Amino acid sequence: MKQLRAAANTMGIHTTLVIAIIVSSVPFFWAVQNSIKFTRDTIRSTPTLWGYDITADPYRKFWFRDEDQNMYQLALFFLILIAVISALVWASRRADTSWPWNLGVAFALWIGLQLFPRFFDMNREFDYFVNSVFVTVLTVIISISIGLLAGYALARYSGLSGAVILIVALAFRALPRTAFVLPYFIVAKQLGILDSRLVIVLALVAVNQPFTIWMLRSFFMEVPREIEEAAMMDGATRLQAFRMAVIPMMWPGIIATSLFTMLLAYNEFLFVRVLAVTEWTLPVALSALTGGESTTTLTEGAAASVSITLPIVIVIIVFQKHLVKGLGAGAVKG
Amino acid sequence: MKRRTFAWFAWPSVAVMSVLMVFPLVTTVFLSFNRIFLRDLSSREWIGFQNYTDVLQDPDFWASFRLTMLFVAAVVPPHLILGLGLANLLDRVRRGRGFYLAALLLPFIVTPVVSTLLVRDLFDRGGLLSWLWEVLTDEPFVINSGNVKWAIILHGIWSITPFAVITFFAGMQTLPEERIEAADMDGAGFWAKQWFVVIPHLRSLIIFVLLITIMDAYRVFDSSFVFGQSVGDAAHTLSVYNFTTAFNAQIGRVGKGNAIAVLIVIGIFAVLIPFLRKSYQDQIAER
Repeated sequence: MKQLRAAANTMGIHTTLVIAIIVSSVPFFWAVQNSIKFTRDTIRSTPTLWGYDITADPYRKFWFRDEDQNMYQLALFFLILIAVISALVWASRRADTSWPWNLGVAFALWIGLQLFPRFFDMNREFDYFVNSVFVTVLTVIISISIGLLAGYALARYSGLSGAVILIVALAFRALPRTAFVLPYFIVAKQLGILDSRLVIVLALVAVNQPFTIWMLRSFFMEVPREIEEAAMMDGATRLQAFRMAVIPMMWPGIIATSLFTMLLAYNEFLFVRVLAVTEWTLPVALSALTGGESTTTLTEGAAASVSITLPIVIVIIVFQKHLVKGLGAGAVKG
Repeated sequence: MKRRTFAWFAWPSVAVMSVLMVFPLVTTVFLSFNRIFLRDLSSREWIGFQNYTDVLQDPDFWASFRLTMLFVAAVVPPHLILGLGLANLLDRVRRGRGFYLAALLLPFIVTPVVSTLLVRDLFDRGGLLSWLWEVLTDEPFVINSGNVKWAIILHGIWSITPFAVITFFAGMQTLPEERIEAADMDGAGFWAKQWFVVIPHLRSLIIFVLLITIMDAYRVFDSSFVFGQSVGDAAHTLSVYNFTTAFNAQIGRVGKGNAIAVLIVIGIFAVLIPFLRKSYQDQIAER
């Protein structure tokens, strides 16, 4: 009897969770469906869930200038890229020092991005994608670099100014984007640097800094002081000890914080919308495509949505463990 | 760590925050007392509090204020309860946990502009939910200025809950097994265990999530903006009202926009001051 109850209990838990993931993924399910339909199947009054003809036209229309783009060529390109990357990842798992191989993965992705427009005749949307990647990567690198220094200092310094900086940063975390964006716009316009990707990166680094230093600080708190004290006894300077002894223990924290920063930069809408005139990133491109007087069809909007979501989903799936660990150990102690 | 070393390590970050946050904020406050328009930013005129009286007499301001308050009130409590519940369930399954977690995370990681469009499509003509509504009530469903607020709120709960789920789930992993066992020994039931063991353990996390989501819900922009593209002003929260006032193509009222921004900032601080004071005291006590 008790066993039966336990089994029923487990069943109940799984059922609830399945319902929850259906609720959380229904819009994506629907979008993926719409992105491979012909328009005639999307405007029926009863939704077409199966038995419709499949097409890649919406994707072609969003990404390629050539509306008859051969999608098998595209598949081949991605297959080769995936093969190269899996080989590098495999080698990195095997090798004693993995970082050169990991660097190789990043390099392969970069080469892929460079080669892509040479092989295929791409729409402007591809430039927006490149901008998205550029802004995201640069924001993460700058945010994390200066955030690491400050986070470390704030974890180790016991003076009053440390507490003040932390609290002021927390207060800034609460402010809406609209409180900063007008001055950014005015200054950028006067300096003639409006519509450059660098301005967007700077703005994103700034608004992300409070979160970054709080999160990295709590990871640094977990690293025992003895680590760097031992290194400094051996004659290392504070900076050397930080670089050689502390940073190697920080990778889980760095990855978790980078993931959050990546989401913030890749998903940013308001700053890009205001500070960019032509150098858009994908979210702004999408909202221009689907909003107002635009004649974009539902299917193309769905294809665009799926395309924008896919890269982020892949990255998150690869690093999912770090994200959860990061929330457990990280930001939350504060 | 010595003060000097601290300064050397912290200055890049502090410099970025001062130049790109403190300075713009001061500029925003200053400009809110001026009459200044988007098409000619170089000419401005000091008009004292006139922008503020303008804003406070603008019915659009109060409409967006009400919508924002409704959004915060309707999103934050349910998402906290859902988050605790789902984290609890996740904590109790062994098989398939990674899969559930990944699937539950989806609404949180996807670009808000995208997810809003996806939710909008569900409610659109021929969309899944709109069809379901028609089957259940026999009336066609369209998003209009009357019901758009519920769509925004639904999207808000849907997209913000995963954050609470993973945070609480991660927190539950650090709960020592012995404490649950001790509660079992004392004959505590499921709810008693939740109330006396799990929730106290998660206390600081719950406050953290509450703080973050109140901040984020209060300044929600993307979803309101996207819905606004199809139904207009009725979908506008404070942030979007602020944006459209300042960046309207014909008459960008930059001065008025800044006054709205200052009012929004004052509003959030009215809520946050107790939290900030508490955090400050914690910080001092830590030292």
